[in-house]
Amino acid sequence: MGGGVTAPGSARGPAATARGPGRVLVAVYAVFALAASARAGVQLLRDFDEAPLAYTLSALAAVVYVVATIGLARGARRLATVAVVVELIGVLVVGAFSLADPAAFPRATVWSGFGQGYGYVPLVLPILGLAWLWRTRARAGA
Amino acid sequence: MVIPLALVVIALALALAAWAGASALRDRAVVLRQLWGAAVVEGVIVVEVVVAVALVVGGEQVREAATFWGYVAATLVILPIAAAWAFAERTRWSSVVMVVAAVTVAFLQLRMLQVWGAA
Repeated sequence: MGGGVTAPGSARGPAATARGPGRVLVAVYAVFALAASARAGVQLLRDFDEAPLAYTLSALAAVVYVVATIGLARGARRLATVAVVVELIGVLVVGAFSLADPAAFPRATVWSGFGQGYGYVPLVLPILGLAWLWRTRARAGA
Repeated sequence: MVIPLALVVIALALALAAWAGASALRDRAVVLRQLWGAAVVEGVIVVEVVVAVALVVGGEQVREAATFWGYVAATLVILPIAAAWAFAERTRWSSVVMVVAAVTVAFLQLRMLQVWGAA
């Protein structure tokens, strides 16, 4: 597995990124992974033709959340970092475009309007994710 | 019958979230009594799902069936996962996870109400 760094310390303990506050982060990511996957699945299977761009982005967002969840839960930092950065770029770009050109996004995605439909959690989450990755890295080096 | 049960679940889940939130603020991990509380919520959810399945089998129409059953699956698994984590993480953060889980369940139930209400 690429970047599959195992947890420092005991073999039994969770990865550094999945301990303490990290557990909350993993929980929130897992909820988004589940919600985005389910939503994208329904959209792609049932009414893809209505908004191909928006629904493709929904599917992409779902994959990113799943990867970020796995990366954080297993302590695969590089994997998690890439996913979280893609997520941050995604929410900023899609957020900006959905406001600038609403016609291109006739149907909502998780990232539309900077995650407005989800209480802006999609915007805050990658920032928290990066902060947490940074913080656990500093500790691991000590 | 699904709607009143969903409302009960929302009320109980929010109460559980408040309880776990109080624990988190006092720097406490999830305690066994809160897990019993979560078990009660889960029990009501199971009853609700059984009722929903029975109604649908009996010919009741759900407006957005795929979405509804997606919510059903999610709402069933969330509290058990949070409970399992409460055993693994003996810090205040297990309480925060419980808050997230309970609020998520309440939100999912709200969405289930919206897609169930055929009309």
